[in-house]
Amino acid sequence: MKTVRTQILLCAGGSCISSGMESVRSGLERELERHGLASEVEIIATGCMGMCQIGPMAIVYPEGVFYQKLTPDDAAEIVEEHLLKGRVVERLLYKRATTGELVEAISNIDFFKLQEKIALRNCGSIDPEDIREYIAADGYEALGRVLSSMTPEQVVAEVKASGLRGRGGAGFPTGLKWQFTAAEKAEPKYVVCNGDEGDPGAFMDRSILEGDPHSIIEAMAICGYAVGAHQGYVYVRAEYPLAIRRLAKAIEQAREYGLLGQDLFGSGFAFDLEIRMGAGAFVCGEETALMHSIEGRRGEPRPKPPFPAQQGLFGKPTVLNNVETFANIPTIILEGAETFAKLGTEKSRGTKVFALAGDVVNSGLVEVPMGISLGSVVFDIGGGIPNNKAFKAVQIGGPSGGCIPKEYLNTPITYESLPELGAIMGSGGLIVMNEDTCMVDLARYFLEFITEESCGKCTPCRVGTRIMLELVTKICRGRGTMEDLRKLEELAPQIAKTSLCGLGQTAPNPVLSTLRYFREEYLEHIQEHRCRAGVCTDLMWAPCTNACPASVNVPAYMAYVSQGRYEDALRIHLKANPFPSVCGRVCPQWCIKKCRRGDLEGPLAVRLVKRFMGDQARDYDDLYPAKEAANGHRVAVIGSGPAGLTAAYYLVLMGYGVTVFERQAEAGGMLRYAIPDYRLPRAYVDKEIDGLVKLGVEIRTGVEIGRDITIPQLEEQGYEAFYVASGCGREIRPNIPGVDLPGVYTGIEFLDRAAKGEKLPVGRDVLVIGGGDSAIDASRIARRMGARNVTILYRRTRSEMPTNPIEIREAEVEGNKVEFLANIDAIRQQDGRLEVSIVRMRLGPFDKTGRRRPEPMPAAGEARLVDAVILAIGQQSDADALVDTTGGLEATSWHGVQADPKTGRTTRPNVFAGGDLVIGAATVVEAIQAGQIGAKAIDQMLRPAPRRQYLWEQLDPPEIVPDLDADVEAIDPTREPLLRPEERLISVEVERTITAAEAMREACRCLRCDYKG
Amino acid sequence: MTVQEIVAKRGNARENLLQILHDLQDSTEGNYLRREDVEVLAREMLLSVSDIVGTATFYTMFSLKPRGRHIIRLCESPPCYIMGEENIREAIREKLGIDFGETTADGLFTLEPSSCLGSCGVAPVMMIDDELYGNLTRDKVGRILDGIAAREPLAAGA
Repeated sequence: MKTVRTQILLCAGGSCISSGMESVRSGLERELERHGLASEVEIIATGCMGMCQIGPMAIVYPEGVFYQKLTPDDAAEIVEEHLLKGRVVERLLYKRATTGELVEAISNIDFFKLQEKIALRNCGSIDPEDIREYIAADGYEALGRVLSSMTPEQVVAEVKASGLRGRGGAGFPTGLKWQFTAAEKAEPKYVVCNGDEGDPGAFMDRSILEGDPHSIIEAMAICGYAVGAHQGYVYVRAEYPLAIRRLAKAIEQAREYGLLGQDLFGSGFAFDLEIRMGAGAFVCGEETALMHSIEGRRGEPRPKPPFPAQQGLFGKPTVLNNVETFANIPTIILEGAETFAKLGTEKSRGTKVFALAGDVVNSGLVEVPMGISLGSVVFDIGGGIPNNKAFKAVQIGGPSGGCIPKEYLNTPITYESLPELGAIMGSGGLIVMNEDTCMVDLARYFLEFITEESCGKCTPCRVGTRIMLELVTKICRGRGTMEDLRKLEELAPQIAKTSLCGLGQTAPNPVLSTLRYFREEYLEHIQEHRCRAGVCTDLMWAPCTNACPASVNVPAYMAYVSQGRYEDALRIHLKANPFPSVCGRVCPQWCIKKCRRGDLEGPLAVRLVKRFMGDQARDYDDLYPAKEAANGHRVAVIGSGPAGLTAAYYLVLMGYGVTVFERQAEAGGMLRYAIPDYRLPRAYVDKEIDGLVKLGVEIRTGVEIGRDITIPQLEEQGYEAFYVASGCGREIRPNIPGVDLPGVYTGIEFLDRAAKGEKLPVGRDVLVIGGGDSAIDASRIARRMGARNVTILYRRTRSEMPTNPIEIREAEVEGNKVEFLANIDAIRQQDGRLEVSIVRMRLGPFDKTGRRRPEPMPAAGEARLVDAVILAIGQQSDADALVDTTGGLEATSWHGVQADPKTGRTTRPNVFAGGDLVIGAATVVEAIQAGQIGAKAIDQMLRPAPRRQYLWEQLDPPEIVPDLDADVEAIDPTREPLLRPEERLISVEVERTITAAEAMREACRCLRCDYKG
Repeated sequence: MTVQEIVAKRGNARENLLQILHDLQDSTEGNYLRREDVEVLAREMLLSVSDIVGTATFYTMFSLKPRGRHIIRLCESPPCYIMGEENIREAIREKLGIDFGETTADGLFTLEPSSCLGSCGVAPVMMIDDELYGNLTRDKVGRILDGIAAREPLAAGA
């Protein structure tokens, strides 16, 4: 045997071949030849390594260096740098998505590190086209051992003892199947391997057949010996020609080596295999259908019993196992049932291969021990969700499976736990979905799949699934009724109960499981004609408008700005949102997450255009929508933040007499007293509130409802309805020693005092605790007050910070530091300063929000001396006095008012509530939405009129028609025009308004998704 | 290969029918099952024509109508759909003027939807004959189709 100093394993899985692996191989061969290394370096084309999206890929041994996304041009550098000079080619290394660090050794890549490989043990490490490599990896040793030293009964007993269950989906114990077939007297018997992997998104069987075909041949021969069969069939779908070619070659080689055919290992036992190719029929994955197909017939299922073990292929006793199931067998024999059974859980032993796909950083094939948590697969192996999107659910088990939402990320993956949640193990497709997925549309997709693949033999499946599809499609189009939903719920269990085979029996699962966890999305589609994910196009004006809580008609004002018609643009904006200059500075832009331009150079800079547009008008006096005649009704609004003012705005426009009561000395709520002026100068708050006053909103400041006057007293004065939006302005204080010491502030208190112009003695070193907007704002204010070392401690990690990443970035640009996974547990006075005891945290199991829960590390904490501590860990409301003096209202556990955020209704018929008071601390634009809901609720109470269309619901097409034939030219998005850190003095806004030319250019980038032609 | 040769190679037992139909279709110009061949096959295998046609029509990969020399199978499963399968379909429509189930006028290509091709890591994917193509973009599809067309011998009489 020749000795080589280096081996390059090159993935030759089907996906890598399609990405150009062959030309990489010839490039490497050419370079090795050129440098005279051909005899020292061996290239081995292996099966699938699992991480297909970064192929073609290679591992260089003995170092184990992993290279990705190779092109033929990289060959020279790998040979000259790595092989000749011993220098790793960094450019081609894998980059850890979360941290950006380069990872050299394959053994350090999380995706591979956490896997446990049995079924995939040889995939990616041996050449599947060379039987000698399989033999060198202990191949056919299990068969040899079985034939020379075990009785068939012992083999069956061993497989039973291993606890192996069918990996094709249903999870029937493999050993029992073998035992039943072995017990049958009829001859001949057959062994069948199901390689008809039809579930969309699942491809482990293809990978095994392509990457390690001999493991299947060996396992089937072992099975044949155990049950007394001498003939086997491997049924492979025709969509997998490479798998068929490699398996055929492996069968040929096995025959040459005497490992198939007569008298294997001199034992007298004969066994041979044939491949049967499918021809495109999903239902053939069902075992009775598959056997009909092997017999050369239509692949229709038949009722069971009789089971295949009694009457299977050609009516004879048959063992039928899936590819992945068989791939486990040689290891079970070689290493013993006991070793195998140590992996996994009591009833789900061993490992399972999953095809991880969808909205996840690392996709591909992963083999993990049974019992691993779902969250670990998605976040540790999969690397989490890309592009800062939120995790929504996984779809597991293909069209027969179900969804599991974020609340269940700690669920161990086992045959038992998944059905409890309405999913199944299935064939192992695991599709990760982010917030952009519409669950109703997902159900529709799978139903469509099922109706196309239903073989038509039985009525419940053929007709029933079609009716379900019609109902769900109707809901997706916004034409569904509650009656349709009821029908759907009635039909689903009937189809499941009465269908002939597994396909129909499981067909309703995607609907049942989305209804179970995402019923509110169905209701939104039916009752509000809204698709929160922005997928169902019939329910959308444009993706941005759909995403905006206030439903602002973004494409329309973009169209006007692009032509310099700023007043028309503002008119559009003011129909849905009376605060363009404010939102143009502070909006977190829900819209741009859905902007279709984001697929090209980047989403529109919507906020910058809005800010420019708002700043073009000194006031909006002539631009507000027309006011209706006074209707004589009087309404009181409590709280003058964005929610209260928005409600007052619309009520005044509708002809109501509105008084806003404000506790503080000036109106504006959080706009004035929490958001710092370097982000939102007070002049703009004044401008937009003054506009409302001129419109007719009466504001009374310095009045606290519940203390100075009560709602019943206001009723006596003639107020008929009340909108309570008094916010969430009290900081939660942690229950630790030292929070009352001088120099310790709460975030809201600190921001409030700073906003009122107070200069607080923060000293030089400041510690801010928290990760939300108020923590970041407080840290930046502290620096502006003269602090030099400002550190923010956050108990989770950067990706979990509930604030706009731009704000964190700017805080860091200004010199502030953020320490993650850190918290405090005590503050003491020490020589006139504060000694803070810091605890390091780590991430534990997942909580209900789908994030990992931080927990303190057992190690002793450290002490740090600072001058001030700002505690910004969360806010609560302060509405106890209001609730107590009103009667009929109920408080929330955090001192807010109980109300339905979708309708604003409280437990008292003429009192409505919304904003932070109801949903907890949120954004300005969400408060505006709450104000709209409040105004609508009060209007419908005082002047009931069915189906009235409110201002913000009227989406007018702009007069400007887009040129659909024009080519979309690539234009880089406008960046935020930010001042340099040294220019940012106190009270100077850190961002400037873009120029008219910039605004028009940016507005031109709008693709006008509103235009329906 | 003629029908008789294929049957001789595979054997005339019923269980070989699917493999025989694959062979027959692959060796027929136009990638389909000709009526006259099916009639011969029925005699050779001692089956009725309707039985063979009934079986063939159950499977999406058999065609009873002539198709192009190359079959483009575009994967329509969720990973491919999410990664822009519809753009690829449109690119093919623009380039070749055909949609699902249609054949180009020169008889070179037929476009068909496919169930999952199991190469979700490089979605969107298509398979032309037995070759898989992944990470498709509009440009890439154009180059692939040009490459295949360029390798074709000139049509007779051209």
